Amino acid sequence: MSSAYRAAVARALDAGSRFGSLHASGANVRTVLVSPEGELHVESVALDGDRAPSIVDLAPAAAWDEREAADLYGVRFDGHEPLRPLADHGGGLERWTVPVHGDDTYQVAVGPIHAGVIESGHFRFHVVGDRILHLDARLFYKHRGLERAAEGRPLEEALVYAQRACAACAVSNTVAYAHACEHALGLQPTSELARVRTILLELERTWSHLNDVAAICAGVGLAAGNASFAALTERARALNGRVTGHRFLFDTIDVGGSALSIDAATVAQARAELAALRAAARTGWRELLFNASFEDRLPGVGVVTEGDGRALGAVGPAARASGIAEDARTASPRLAYDGFDVQTAGGAAGDVQARLEQRALELWQSFDVLDALLDGPVQASAAQAAAAPAPIGLACVESPRGATLCVVEHAGGTLERLRLRTGSYANWPVVAHAAAGNLLPDFPLINKSFELCYACADR
Amino acid sequence: MLTLLRDLRRLRNDIGLPRPERARSLAVRHVDAGSCNGCEHELTLASAPQYDLQRFGFGIVASPRHADVLLVTGVVTTRMREPLLAAYNAMPEPRLVAAFGDCALGRGLLGLHSELAGPLEAILPIDLRIPGCPPTPDAVAAALARLCDSRVY
Repeated sequence: MSSAYRAAVARALDAGSRFGSLHASGANVRTVLVSPEGELHVESVALDGDRAPSIVDLAPAAAWDEREAADLYGVRFDGHEPLRPLADHGGGLERWTVPVHGDDTYQVAVGPIHAGVIESGHFRFHVVGDRILHLDARLFYKHRGLERAAEGRPLEEALVYAQRACAACAVSNTVAYAHACEHALGLQPTSELARVRTILLELERTWSHLNDVAAICAGVGLAAGNASFAALTERARALNGRVTGHRFLFDTIDVGGSALSIDAATVAQARAELAALRAAARTGWRELLFNASFEDRLPGVGVVTEGDGRALGAVGPAARASGIAEDARTASPRLAYDGFDVQTAGGAAGDVQARLEQRALELWQSFDVLDALLDGPVQASAAQAAAAPAPIGLACVESPRGATLCVVEHAGGTLERLRLRTGSYANWPVVAHAAAGNLLPDFPLINKSFELCYACADR
Repeated sequence: MLTLLRDLRRLRNDIGLPRPERARSLAVRHVDAGSCNGCEHELTLASAPQYDLQRFGFGIVASPRHADVLLVTGVVTTRMREPLLAAYNAMPEPRLVAAFGDCALGRGLLGLHSELAGPLEAILPIDLRIPGCPPTPDAVAAALARLCDSRVY
């Protein structure tokens, strides 16, 4: 179990780094660590046949990464016991669920097809009465093999695989991919390129956070709140369509530059519509706060403590709602977030209420960032050569759901390995943890307070 | 809560949605067979106040046993093939299949060949094609109105 690789990972974690991502690459396993200053570095270990030492005892957040590498790349991790399948759906329940036994315990199976318009995924609840003892989530129903399908293509061309991983996080995923490629190619964005990408990231966050507030209202059955914020979500997405030609901002990000140009009048109209949206969202938010029956449903539900959140590798609004004051936007030299401050919801109770309040806090921040950046026309721009090319490029971008990490390995501009570890991927194990101890009928509410994508976890 | 909903009539008039000539209802069961989540987000907004497709009789139902139309999104992954067929087989006849979005229509599919079972056309008979990446909520309204007015159903 002792190896230089494990010792290096342990040293980095002791020095305050957090686990970022792990993937199998050829004859190696690579772990990315994120320092408190937001710097990324890789620790690699060569496979011994098909075996590698596990780091799951050092970083529990690596559990899904190792299970995925075992299923899709055939790596056997020494010390990861039991190594349950994640992407491999073969075999019976005993292969992939945690055994839960005892008087009056039973299982409730939900999905992969859900009752509404929801992505596909399977949840197996182990319950006593209405109380959830444990939740096993089985995702990867939507696994399309995008990372492997992207291999062998030119870096610029392979961006579409990151884009189509998830429409809801299309900008975040493609900016992370573009940054990783530019890191590998030794390119540095100009200030105009940083500006346009930051605008697009915040436009994505705006509709996404409005959607999340609507979803939480739906989670408790508050139809009027859901309708109000769904109407605002539609306005935000329609705005994106008017400004960029696509409601999900597809095809706005390129490797090495940006072809997007937006004239001054359109930018001014967008800024005015965002100010109107902000005012309407403020009104809607105030009305939610004064809705006592709604507010009563939120506290103490689906609690994630700060310690558990850190151990499980929680990211994004969900982590910040548990008091983990981390946001990749504070360490984004390739973007235009100068002076960005992390805000956490008051009390940081880590429950549904805190996750809802965190969305509102971040919405106001996004409106601020957009208002400051939409001060003139957007022009086409290109990244500039700043360093020697390297075989591996790394990037971390704050998506609406949390820090999204991208690793690009290439040979002369041809993609050899892509790893896209999204905020949703990081947070799914946290959802399962948050559900335990709660009532089964509260699960939809808990789930919607995270509002994760299945698509960008499954890829 | 009503503040935002007050100008609903204006919101709806601005959009100018098509509506079926015949007053009909259509119960729709959605199955995500491996989408990028874009189709789901647009379909969700088809219930937003601006569109509110329920008022034309288009409802999303929880069970395939209550559905007239199976609305399928995504590429059809190997892992979603069986659940998709189970949902289809649970529907009463006559039943229709709508391919929602370019992936379900087999256009520009991305993914590893061995992970994809699709395209949908090879698995189920398609009665209604709704193109787009993803289709917008007004495209959903137009397609469903067309289906109501057609003699297919």
